[in-house]
Amino acid sequence: MTEELKVAVERKPQGAVLYTKGYINNVGGEEIANRAYELMDDGVRILLLNLRETKIVNSIGISILIEIIEKMMDKGGKIAFCCLTPVIHKTFQIMGLANYAAIYDNEEAAVRELGLT
Amino acid sequence: MTATADRQMELTLPMVPDIEIAAARALGNLAREMGMTSEHVDEMMHAVIEACINAREHSGCADNRIYLRFVGSSNADGNRIDIWVTDHGKGFDPQEARSRRQVPGTPHKRGRGLQLMELHMDEVDISTTRNGGTTIHMVKYEKKS
Repeated sequence: MTEELKVAVERKPQGAVLYTKGYINNVGGEEIANRAYELMDDGVRILLLNLRETKIVNSIGISILIEIIEKMMDKGGKIAFCCLTPVIHKTFQIMGLANYAAIYDNEEAAVRELGLT
Repeated sequence: MTATADRQMELTLPMVPDIEIAAARALGNLAREMGMTSEHVDEMMHAVIEACINAREHSGCADNRIYLRFVGSSNADGNRIDIWVTDHGKGFDPQEARSRRQVPGTPHKRGRGLQLMELHMDEVDISTTRNGGTTIHMVKYEKKS
């Protein structure tokens, strides 16, 4: 059985929003990474990951998200997350992602705070 | 108050990619039938996913199977779910696994599965012996409000 993650991208004037739908595991994490790295190569330095339609992230997916955060930090940019389930939010806080990436309750607040528009 | 075993489920699953989702869905259904909150259901699903991934990736077992048992019980105080995840693999050293926990910014980012299980569950107990397999027993409590 496979659980394919779907990723969609919306470019904004000052960056991009990346929407995920489904399970973030090793394959899903790599899909997110590929899209994120394409955006970084294209000059995007502010990237918001909207996980509204993702209910489960496993430990391998978290490791890949950390790699994406580190790569963006190396480029002087920033990653943020929004619309997390309470359990994913707690997981990100405990695993340290919240120390390196801002977490917002909703996309409107994130876009405003990050200056994406 | 004596607890009653309201629901039990046993699964034997092949070690194939994403099989942990099947285990999580089965557990989620059992927990929802017991009326547990969506947050607690999500926490247990995340924990059983990590236990299955560890078995699949690290057990080195010959039979390529994960054995799961879920028992849900209730009493006047609330609900309790016990989860056992067993493999017949080579076993491991839990202390050594815990010592490998890393933080962001360090080069080794794997080995977080056990940490996540302990984060999401109220009790986690590991029985493992060299070449004798591993059983992870996890418990989630939910008090009646």
